[in-house]
Amino acid sequence: MIAVLLCVLRGERILTTEDTEKHKAMLGLLFILFAGMAVGCAISMVVQRNPLYGAISLIGVFISLSCLYVTLAAPFIAAVQVIVYAGAIMVLVVFVIMLLNVEDEERQPLRLRALVPIAIGLAAILFAETAFIIVFVHSSPGTPTTNISDVGLTSSIGAGLFTTYLLPFEITSILLLMAVVGAMTLARRGGLLPRNVVVVPGFQVLAKEVLDPRSTPDLTPVVARSTEEGEQLLGVAGAAHADDE
Amino acid sequence: MEDLKHLVLLMIGILVAFTVVMTMVAYTVLAERRVLGFIQGRLGPNRVGPGGALQPFADLLKFILKEDIVPDKSTRFVYFLAPVIATTAALMTIVVYPFGPEIHLPIIGTIRLVIARFDVGLLYVLGVTSVGVYGIALAGWSSNNKYSLMGGLRSSAQMISYELALGLALIGVILQSGTLDLYSIVEQQSGHLGITGWNLIWVQPLGFVVYLIAAIAETNRVPFDLPEAETELVAGFHTEYSAMKFALFFLAEYVNMFTVSMLATTLFLGGWNGPFVHQLPWLGVFYFLGKVIFFLFFYIWLRGTLPRFRFDQLMGFGWKFLMPLAIINIVLTATIQWSGAFDYLAKFLKTTTGWGG
Repeated sequence: MIAVLLCVLRGERILTTEDTEKHKAMLGLLFILFAGMAVGCAISMVVQRNPLYGAISLIGVFISLSCLYVTLAAPFIAAVQVIVYAGAIMVLVVFVIMLLNVEDEERQPLRLRALVPIAIGLAAILFAETAFIIVFVHSSPGTPTTNISDVGLTSSIGAGLFTTYLLPFEITSILLLMAVVGAMTLARRGGLLPRNVVVVPGFQVLAKEVLDPRSTPDLTPVVARSTEEGEQLLGVAGAAHADDE
Repeated sequence: MEDLKHLVLLMIGILVAFTVVMTMVAYTVLAERRVLGFIQGRLGPNRVGPGGALQPFADLLKFILKEDIVPDKSTRFVYFLAPVIATTAALMTIVVYPFGPEIHLPIIGTIRLVIARFDVGLLYVLGVTSVGVYGIALAGWSSNNKYSLMGGLRSSAQMISYELALGLALIGVILQSGTLDLYSIVEQQSGHLGITGWNLIWVQPLGFVVYLIAAIAETNRVPFDLPEAETELVAGFHTEYSAMKFALFFLAEYVNMFTVSMLATTLFLGGWNGPFVHQLPWLGVFYFLGKVIFFLFFYIWLRGTLPRFRFDQLMGFGWKFLMPLAIINIVLTATIQWSGAFDYLAKFLKTTTGWGG
């Protein structure tokens, strides 16, 4: 028992079949702990009405999953799970929720009632699959024990990615690059300002129409330090104030 | 029985490391106030104990005894959770740093002065640090205060941006050492007199500079302390926090400073390596802590010297200057590694001067 805890605490690997057999109880206990946490957080994520609580629950799911990876002797995946999902993607989600100040979701009457039987059917299929896997694993002869000592280590994953799976790896990275460029172009399209105007913080961008309502619709932008400077540049100095009187 | 002994040793190790770090953090706060006082031509706290040496304990007592105020319309659960996340994430990274080499103890035998030796030690550090962002972001959101919210938003934007430069700066070191295990990285940096093997001296000066700057931004220190810019945001994300909960944020900031300095020491300044460590292993601990103290002093020095950035300058600096610099560093390191120029240089130095990496 203590040995396994020690291994997990020290980040060492428990992989040989003899070890797994010997420490089945402890590994099972850890699995129940982390899997329970993951499932609990997942349920909480769906049930929560406040979007930020949902996001926090999802972070909990990711962290419990990464703990599970550690007990399965896959330290690299565990670390990357936390860095990428909990550390980067969920920070963005929390950021957006905070920025938009999303309100609590209102409880609505269930539309799409017809989908309920389909959901139950899908759940039943999922359970059947799980049961099948459990039965299949138990009835099959012991898993191969050779050549698994370096599975899940950073070096073996790196070697795999840059030799055997180089093409899929590169294609994935190109895909991600395309997504980034696409997001940039979509976000930039249809801006209010003409292309040649660069907004410098601390400066103002003014249109002639804003300063002098009597002028014909003229959207020529002018970059200025202050409203007065803008008025002078546009040749409408004092026009807006004269209008007030 | 053997296992039980290891477990007890592990727990003692964690306790010792925790105590050392906490004591040093407490005295960093005092040192910061005294050094800032010196820089600004005043005395700083010097009344409690000889030269102010008991000031940290007086501060702690004050934090505990102050009234704990919770804002009326705060989101209570998250408001309580935020300082816990910040402190836990800051303290969790301590376990992977090697404080010293293998040492011999009379009854216990030979032990390594590192608590946990992960295959992915460096990634563990990055992962845990990235979770620390939530502490600040959630604190800002749950306080129901617009200054707190602005501070929280600024901090999450800043930390995501600089995490990128920070991570990329570390890739150079990883490329060079070929491992993510911090203990092995330190061992590889021994060399002549324990000095010539440092990554800083060989091919990572650029990576070191990028790391140092990005690390200051990650810990929200001057000149990148926009999340708590007092002239604009009152006190930023911790405006509404008082008593012990404020103390936890305060603690998290200084522990983060400390761990970032430990990482810089481990990766660039050779960790516990130094003259005569092989003869006297205990010296390693002092070298390690000495180097960390050097970085802490550097931080305090910067705080007394530099003004704060504007937010757009901060973002522009991170994305348009530091990140390209870090990528250039990766390309340079990879080219040098691939061409074998580094090995050639080391061999040349060894044959001519007797130095070697």
